[in-house]
Amino acid sequence: MEFGWSEEEERFRQDLRAFLDEELPPNWEEIAAGGPGSDEQVRFCRSFCPRLAERGWLTQHWPREWGGLDASPWRHAILGEEMWARGEPRGPQYMNVNWIGPAIMRFGTEEQKAELLPPIARGEALWCQGFSEPEAGSDLAALRTAAVREGEVYRVNGSKIWTSYANHAERCFLLVRTDPASRRQRGISVLLMPMDLAGIEVREIPSVVGDRYFHEVFLNDVEVPVSCRLGPEDEGWAVVTYALQYERVGAARYARAARILDRLAEEARRRGRLDDPRLLERLGEARAACEAARLLTYRVIDMRAHGAPPSADSQLARVAGTLAERRVADLALELFGPESLAYGSPGAQHFRAAMTAGVAVGATEIQLNLIASRILGLPRE
Amino acid sequence: MDFQPNGDQQAIQEAVEALLARHAGAERAIALAAKGETDGELEAALAEAGYRDLALGPETGPLEAALVVEAVSRAAGLVSAGASLLVAPMLLGEAAPGPVALAAGDEPVPLRFGAHAPTLLVARGDEAFRVDLTPADREPVPSNFGYPMGRVRADVRAKGRSLGAGSGPRLRAWWRVALALEAAGSMRAALALTVDYVQRRRQFGRPIGSFQAVQHRLAECEVLVSGAHWLALEAAFHGADPERSALAAAHALEAAGRVFHDTHQFTGAMGFTLEHDLHVHTMRLQALRLELGGLGSHRVAASRARWVGTA
Repeated sequence: MEFGWSEEEERFRQDLRAFLDEELPPNWEEIAAGGPGSDEQVRFCRSFCPRLAERGWLTQHWPREWGGLDASPWRHAILGEEMWARGEPRGPQYMNVNWIGPAIMRFGTEEQKAELLPPIARGEALWCQGFSEPEAGSDLAALRTAAVREGEVYRVNGSKIWTSYANHAERCFLLVRTDPASRRQRGISVLLMPMDLAGIEVREIPSVVGDRYFHEVFLNDVEVPVSCRLGPEDEGWAVVTYALQYERVGAARYARAARILDRLAEEARRRGRLDDPRLLERLGEARAACEAARLLTYRVIDMRAHGAPPSADSQLARVAGTLAERRVADLALELFGPESLAYGSPGAQHFRAAMTAGVAVGATEIQLNLIASRILGLPRE
Repeated sequence: MDFQPNGDQQAIQEAVEALLARHAGAERAIALAAKGETDGELEAALAEAGYRDLALGPETGPLEAALVVEAVSRAAGLVSAGASLLVAPMLLGEAAPGPVALAAGDEPVPLRFGAHAPTLLVARGDEAFRVDLTPADREPVPSNFGYPMGRVRADVRAKGRSLGAGSGPRLRAWWRVALALEAAGSMRAALALTVDYVQRRRQFGRPIGSFQAVQHRLAECEVLVSGAHWLALEAAFHGADPERSALAAAHALEAAGRVFHDTHQFTGAMGFTLEHDLHVHTMRLQALRLELGGLGSHRVAASRARWVGTA
């Protein structure tokens, strides 16, 4: 047990920071303010990710066979921290490298790997995630979108909701029910669906979170080639479970929260308030929550580095991250006071960045259920 | 970065668990507390096994000592583990015999082990002071907060030897790490007892631990306790740097408040009785929450260390 970084890891972090200082344009803050799904940030990520890929960093944790460097999970974690702390200039592409690529490597055919992995590794691919449906949110296994096999295509009908990046993505990691008689986890398949097929309609759902944040994706008689199926028919649940294990700690949201907190402290200093013990208490409280989330995330990365099977420990990290983000969000509003009410103000932006924490990528209550049953060993209701 | 214990650390953990199985436990703590005593036998066993020197060993350091402090607390050992095994050696550069008491400033408040400690370390501004105590200097204070409490006469405190410029912040930082470790140990034990209780206790025809309202609160406690555990160990590894040690104490003692109320809530009236072991761990948590200025002062210290440049 030891909690230090190696010299090589420290150097990598410094190199990354220098790279970001150089690559991020002067108006980056404005670009990042729109969130990873905004037109500006998506446009930026299309030029940024290829440059990250040129350095070998974008998919460094992938095997060499697919354009990676076999880098340790720790190095990839450092990359994630530095990216999130700066507002995630990879845009939606963090999903590709964290879990979509690894799922394709694990379950894909040789053709799928050869077609889909190189564009991800070059930083040129944009994906979205077609999981939630109007009647299947936390209860994902209730999904109904139907895919009926007709020769060499699946005819897909249904709809997906809350789909971030659907307006920009070229492909969708889509969950469908291929066995209409099936229930729950059985009979589900994964389709790697091109977004330009006929019958796909993407509609924005306006929200208070940000522009182009949520979408609904309507699928009307979409003919998806059978060759797009990832993994065996009707056994997609295993693919999703595998992918989600990577997804759950893939986004270093705690690093963004900690960075926002540093900004808030800086702002408090400018306003001559950094000698107010009440404010210092609030800052310290929020910082402790960010640090707890960081270490619980590290614990999961450590298990991966040791080759341990995925466990419910990732849920501990997620819940801790949510607690941290909420504290930072509340503090952001309060510190700037009524000025936060103005659209686009720093308080409003920081708040917006953190307000979805307990809902995005899985509700906290589900995570608590999993901790209760798998870690505490409590009986099911 | 490696969260798994190496071979030596694992050997230390196993050896200390075996020692604690013989010389600690809630039952022992209850019996000793009734008499207002500390556990001399455990103290001697820890010393004999060399744990007092762990923090300064050639092959070991504060992280290994921290693992032992947390384990002693988890097993309800009634010794000044944090002060003796971690704070004193890191401050004095040598082991201190017997219980060690810690004080912040000169208020003659009740101190943990204050009626038993031959050594008192006082943090006063930029300096820390070592005071050697005789029985005449100390007075027991009856308390049911899980540790033997005592006051030290004010005129005696003033006679201490300074440990040099900068020793005050150093004492506070190691003290905070010790508080975080002891709280993490007590919380872990309290939570384990409660999880066990809600699985066995049936109401409305089912274990109360099957109710989601109960599960979610205990799951949140698990998140907080796990976070406290790793923050405390990391702070020890980094030599109690001012920010990390204050954050570790802030997180652990905030969690302690939550864990106290939730574990007692779900253990019902039974948890308040001396028949059940819960109080042994939880009452200590409240004592820990009051030391060194309490939760607010740890949070402020963390913020000062990070953003103002003074701890």
